[in-house]
Amino acid sequence: MIDFIHVSKSFPNGDVVINDIDFSIPPGEFVIITGESGAGKTTIGRLLIRDLVPEKGKILIDGVDLTKIKPQNIPLIRRKIGFAFQDFRVIPDKTVGENIVIALEIAGYDAKKIPEKVKHTLSMVGLSGKENLFPGQISGGELQRASIARAIAADPPILFADEPTGNLDKKTSLDIFNLLQKINSDGTTVIIATHDVTLINQNIGRHIHLEKGKIVKEEKHQEEKREKKE
Amino acid sequence: MSTAIKNIRRSPYQALSAIFIVSLTLFIVGIFGLVTAASQEILNNFETKPQIIAYLKDGHTTEQVGGLLSSLNSTSGVKKAVYISKNDALELYKKSVGNDPVLLGTVTDWGIVTADILPASIEITAEKPDLFKNIAATLEKSDIVSVTPTGKKEIDFPQDVITELTKWTNAIRMGGLVLVVALTLVAILTIMTIISMKISSRRFEISTFKLMGAKNLYIIKPYLQESVIYGLVGSIVGWLGCLVTILYTTPFLAPRIGSIISFPIPFMAMFILFGALVLFGLIISFLSSLFAATRFVNRSK
Repeated sequence: MIDFIHVSKSFPNGDVVINDIDFSIPPGEFVIITGESGAGKTTIGRLLIRDLVPEKGKILIDGVDLTKIKPQNIPLIRRKIGFAFQDFRVIPDKTVGENIVIALEIAGYDAKKIPEKVKHTLSMVGLSGKENLFPGQISGGELQRASIARAIAADPPILFADEPTGNLDKKTSLDIFNLLQKINSDGTTVIIATHDVTLINQNIGRHIHLEKGKIVKEEKHQEEKREKKE
Repeated sequence: MSTAIKNIRRSPYQALSAIFIVSLTLFIVGIFGLVTAASQEILNNFETKPQIIAYLKDGHTTEQVGGLLSSLNSTSGVKKAVYISKNDALELYKKSVGNDPVLLGTVTDWGIVTADILPASIEITAEKPDLFKNIAATLEKSDIVSVTPTGKKEIDFPQDVITELTKWTNAIRMGGLVLVVALTLVAILTIMTIISMKISSRRFEISTFKLMGAKNLYIIKPYLQESVIYGLVGSIVGWLGCLVTILYTTPFLAPRIGSIISFPIPFMAMFILFGALVLFGLIISFLSSLFAATRFVNRSK
């Protein structure tokens, strides 16, 4: 369960980027956060992984207040959230497989089970056979899939995908969207931050629209019965 | 460990300079360790010998010797006074020259070495060096102590040698310590700089790891392993340097101090030196990289 309770955040130059936002995301929900560039979508993700700390309000993940968490416990919270970064952040001198191994090692996965888990994750995102390729040897769509694969490899209960279809063509964008839906159908809470109309027009899940750091519209398009992830 | 080896391969010159400075430091540490141990052994050897020797005139009587011994024993500061007869002196001479055929050939400038040409003496061990004056005064008064052509009583103070030797040993130790400390600091700073440069060039990777939930230990582990490799290889090279130096200098040293220190240097001593150098190398490389890496990781988000 994710709770943003009257959260505000401004940058050192005084620009208010999140302005008193308040929402909850129950486990297993599919949420699309939309808004123009600078509306605060990415900031929500960064607040969620405690890369930023709000000036006001509280952020709770499964009841744990991120504003009061001890520094040594931050990694444990971050492991609960798979983060697919806008700029992918795939390590360029490591193969696709090695990038996923890192995520599994960080999560403390049993070393013996890692090779099998890497294969399974790559097949899930449609990258079977690309394990030994370096990021520079695959396409943009595949890179996004690799980024998502790394984010979900350790089975985190929450996935935050920041602009997962940026710079991708319409067909590839829809493929990625379908992949995220598939991940959600397995019980993972999926939060997508995007301004891609292709995704918005799918009218699936819960839609939160931001403008200048405030929630201006919130609607639920489709109720789907999903199992809560353990 | 594979990441650490990959890091070394990526920048072999940095690795070489780290290994070189660790090797040099540990070589100097090893050599000074050996010099210190040897000088202590030499010092101990001298200290077990009598501190004052008074040579006696020929023709002295047992009564005269007994009288001198009893007056010495009643002098404050005398721990032990022993009479060495001409025959005892010959035995000591034989013992000291060992199997040397030239010296044992008993041919000298004075002719054949027999008990007759060696002087009898009294060897005295004092409680404290500052009591030597009292003892010397007692000896000066004695008629049986022989006199040099310049009119001085023939009294030797080997303690002067010990004092001089102690002074030199301490000077060598102090000089060595300063050099070792300076080189250790240089080695620590070199490893810290190299690890800082490496870790700084992986800034993007490290911040990504942190955002993925990596703990600091996971991030710094490859860098610690890398510097441990520097320490291990450096200490082995440093020890090999010591070994080669010892083997090279043995033919020179053995005839000179062979009666005090056993040559070749025993295997166990070299094994202990190896263990000590490896331990020291690992400690300095581990601590310097731990400090550099932790500092960087704590400062990054």
